[in-house]
Amino acid sequence: MICRLLGATLACSLATAAAAAPVAITVRGADGAPLSGAVVTVTAPGVAAPVPRGTYAVEQRDIQFQPHVLIVPVGATVAFPNRDKVRHHVYSFSRPKKFDLKLYGREDSRTVTFDQPGVVALGCNIHDTMSGFVVVTATPFAIQSDGAGYARFADVPAGRVTVQVWHPSIRAPGNTLSQTAQIGASGLSTTLTVRH
Amino acid sequence: MTVSEVLAQTGGRLRSFRFGSLRTRLATLYAALFAVALIGIALVAQVVVSRNARTTVAAELVASGAVYDRLWSLREQSLRSAADVLSRDFGFRSAAASGDRSTIASALVSLRQRAGVPIAMFVDLDGGVIGGTASVARVAADVPFAMAPGRRDVVILAGSTVYRLVLSPVLAPTEIGWVVFAVPLDAAEMRNLEKLSAIPLIATMLRRADDGRWVSIDGAVPPSDALEALGGAPDGKGDRHSAPALLDLPDGDALAIARPLAGIGAKPQAALLIRYPYGLAMAPYRPLQLGIGLAGLAGLLLVMAGSRRLARNIARPIAALDRAAQQLEEGAPTVVQVSGRDEIGRLAASFNRMAAGIAEREQRIAHLAFHDPLTGLPNRVSLRETLDQVSARVRRTGGQAAVLSLDLDRFHAVNDTLGHPAGDALLRRIATLLPELAPDAFIARLSADEFALVLEGGAADRPRALGQAILDHFAVPMMVEAHAVPIGVSMGIAIAPSDGNDADTLLKNADLALADAKRDGGGVMRFFEPALDEAARRRRMLELDLREAVAKGQFTLAFQPIFDLKAQRIGGFEALLRWHHPDRGWLSPVDFIPVAEETGLIVPIGEWVMREACRTATRWPEHVRIAVNVSALQFRSPGFQTVVLQALAISGLEPRRLEVEITESVFLDGEGPVVALLHRLRAMGVRVALDDFGTGYSSLSYLRSFPFDKIKIDRSFVTPVARDASAAAIVRAIIDLSAALRTDTTAEGVEDDEQLAVLTEQGCGSIQGYLFSRPVDAASTLELLATPLVRAAA
Repeated sequence: MICRLLGATLACSLATAAAAAPVAITVRGADGAPLSGAVVTVTAPGVAAPVPRGTYAVEQRDIQFQPHVLIVPVGATVAFPNRDKVRHHVYSFSRPKKFDLKLYGREDSRTVTFDQPGVVALGCNIHDTMSGFVVVTATPFAIQSDGAGYARFADVPAGRVTVQVWHPSIRAPGNTLSQTAQIGASGLSTTLTVRH
Repeated sequence: MTVSEVLAQTGGRLRSFRFGSLRTRLATLYAALFAVALIGIALVAQVVVSRNARTTVAAELVASGAVYDRLWSLREQSLRSAADVLSRDFGFRSAAASGDRSTIASALVSLRQRAGVPIAMFVDLDGGVIGGTASVARVAADVPFAMAPGRRDVVILAGSTVYRLVLSPVLAPTEIGWVVFAVPLDAAEMRNLEKLSAIPLIATMLRRADDGRWVSIDGAVPPSDALEALGGAPDGKGDRHSAPALLDLPDGDALAIARPLAGIGAKPQAALLIRYPYGLAMAPYRPLQLGIGLAGLAGLLLVMAGSRRLARNIARPIAALDRAAQQLEEGAPTVVQVSGRDEIGRLAASFNRMAAGIAEREQRIAHLAFHDPLTGLPNRVSLRETLDQVSARVRRTGGQAAVLSLDLDRFHAVNDTLGHPAGDALLRRIATLLPELAPDAFIARLSADEFALVLEGGAADRPRALGQAILDHFAVPMMVEAHAVPIGVSMGIAIAPSDGNDADTLLKNADLALADAKRDGGGVMRFFEPALDEAARRRRMLELDLREAVAKGQFTLAFQPIFDLKAQRIGGFEALLRWHHPDRGWLSPVDFIPVAEETGLIVPIGEWVMREACRTATRWPEHVRIAVNVSALQFRSPGFQTVVLQALAISGLEPRRLEVEITESVFLDGEGPVVALLHRLRAMGVRVALDDFGTGYSSLSYLRSFPFDKIKIDRSFVTPVARDASAAAIVRAIIDLSAALRTDTTAEGVEDDEQLAVLTEQGCGSIQGYLFSRPVDAASTLELLATPLVRAAA
């Protein structure tokens, strides 16, 4: 844990030292169609992890997780309020955070604190069709691609970074496409093609 | 070889195969025809059944294919459900997510037992496999990743075993692995599949061999092109629901369809082959085929029995007719029993009528052979037979028999003057008359006017008595068509055994006696005497000699002068035939002329005489005539007028110098034709003299019917004319009669001066006889003519 904090501080100092540049990433499928809803993260060394602010919630409404994908910083506590008339049993078998919120009813809210980065798949043991994700990130550059598969970061420190794209449909270990990139002074604009 | 040739050859063989009996032939024909028809029906039935079976099989197979597809997916669902039970179990998912291998393995075992699945595995996202056998696990590890999203069912090949894999993803809630069931598609699985089918199908699993060809996993279906076509192209393209195809398998033909089973890639690694053996398809039709066969056999037997029966009914009367015809051929009287009114019945009736007709005609022919059709009396053949038997009895038992040979004396005259119908009526009268006169005799008619009677036993004097009775009866003229006709009979009698003891001898001797009677002028009967036989033998010799004489020209002519009393010179010569027999010397015409007349040789002899006489006469002075005797037979012969004409033409003699001498006998067979001929001769200029006047009937009607140029007074009157007043009176009457008729007279046989004196005094025209000259040869006639007044007496 200490090492991690140290790294973050270092990255932060580096970021300040280097100039920041915009990064624009377009995610497309193998067929060329834009992939929306993909979580794109850019991890740059020396950038401090974001601090949880406010409350995070994944509602269960209409037998669905709402939002479907929730990006939270490490250490964030997420509430799971039930807005349905039926009961839910939200669970996660994901390695970053395993939990099991036993049957609870309407307007009943449980909270889970996600203290490890990674993707946590949410399920309801009662309703198999319910699926949701909590993406726990240690980098501030995390965003979902828009309808055009487009994700833009305003000022990413130049230098060597790791760009990751996650989407449940990506056929790769961890449903994640990961690659390094060199961000110059003018930033980076690239298109990533994923298999899904 | 064409069909027609085969038929022709078969036909030829059939034709050459002869059936001994109609019955067999009919039975065989009908049986063969029925058999042909039956075979035709059986063939059609077989074709229809076979086609029907194939159509049914194809339809059922297609239907079964759809059923199998449904079964296939049902099985998938059931397997999937079973897999889903585990994959959705919260505890299992928890164990899977946490990588709790032992829990996962135990859960799989539990599931396997519960779902009855041979192999159950868990494949995690890293391709790790828990459970399952090594070979399957190796293949199964890659399957979930290779499959298209959403596909849950796949058929793979692990080694040479085909497995069906059903996948159920383990969601937590994202996929964290898969529960995979593997069902080996082995023989047992195939049997299970087959059990679900309503029809007896056989399911076989095909897999691709290393060379890409389809092979069956149990080896029941050998690789073949048909199998390849059925399984679809190796690239997996082609109609999944291909039409049924025929497979030629070791256990018989089968119709089959194949269902390629989707594998991981585009190219199916396995296929389900469903086949329907024809043997099984045809099984329901076996009773029908057996039924047709049995019905056909029964029908054939019935047709054979029926046709044999029918043929027997037809053949039996025909055989009876055949036998009857043979009997008829052998001459036995025969009648066929007629039954039924059909053609055979009518044939039998016709046959009976024919047989009766033949019998009747035979009888008539037999009667004709032994009887005379005109009178109904037995004929010569019959007479000979009877006489044979009679003479045999006489030889055996002693006793006596007689043959009476009868000949009517003037039957020809009746035929010529009253016509043949009258003659026939007369003969029939006689045929009824004779049995009345001789009820104890066998009576036969031998020829036109010749009858014979056979008397057996009886008194020794019976033949004579009977003969006399017959003579007496016929002495009275018979009434024929209102004419009283003096028929008269001549009769010869031969007695057995003295005159012969066989039919031929007896008949011959009776005929000899008859000829003797005829020579005596008829109207009498003569018993056979051995001398007659000798005379007959001599006549036969004479006949032979005569024929030779005609051929060798042994005849010569002598000429007797006829002295014209008024002119006191020779007025003519009478030609007289002379025959110098090589052995017997000069023969008198009296000895051989009758034989010549009997044999007909008189015609050629007469012809020679006529020519020779005419030829000789040409050497004489013009006033000298030649007189030629013409016998009645010669005169009546058809060519007589021609003979006269030719003799005159060849010699150049004036017709008036020829004098034909005939006797009354020429009139015997009718007057009319004779008179006509005489007139024709007269018209030619030839003179006609009536010879031998005064003998025979000397009917004065002849003199009236034709104006003869001359009448020759017979020597029987001339010889006694000088000393017998009555003879002189007759001669005077003849001469006076001739004078009145302006007819010349010649007296024959004048031998002395007294006779000459009387004749001269009575006014006779000319004389002929030794008084004047004997007959001389041709050369001497000229000397005689050159001598004036050559009166022998003078």
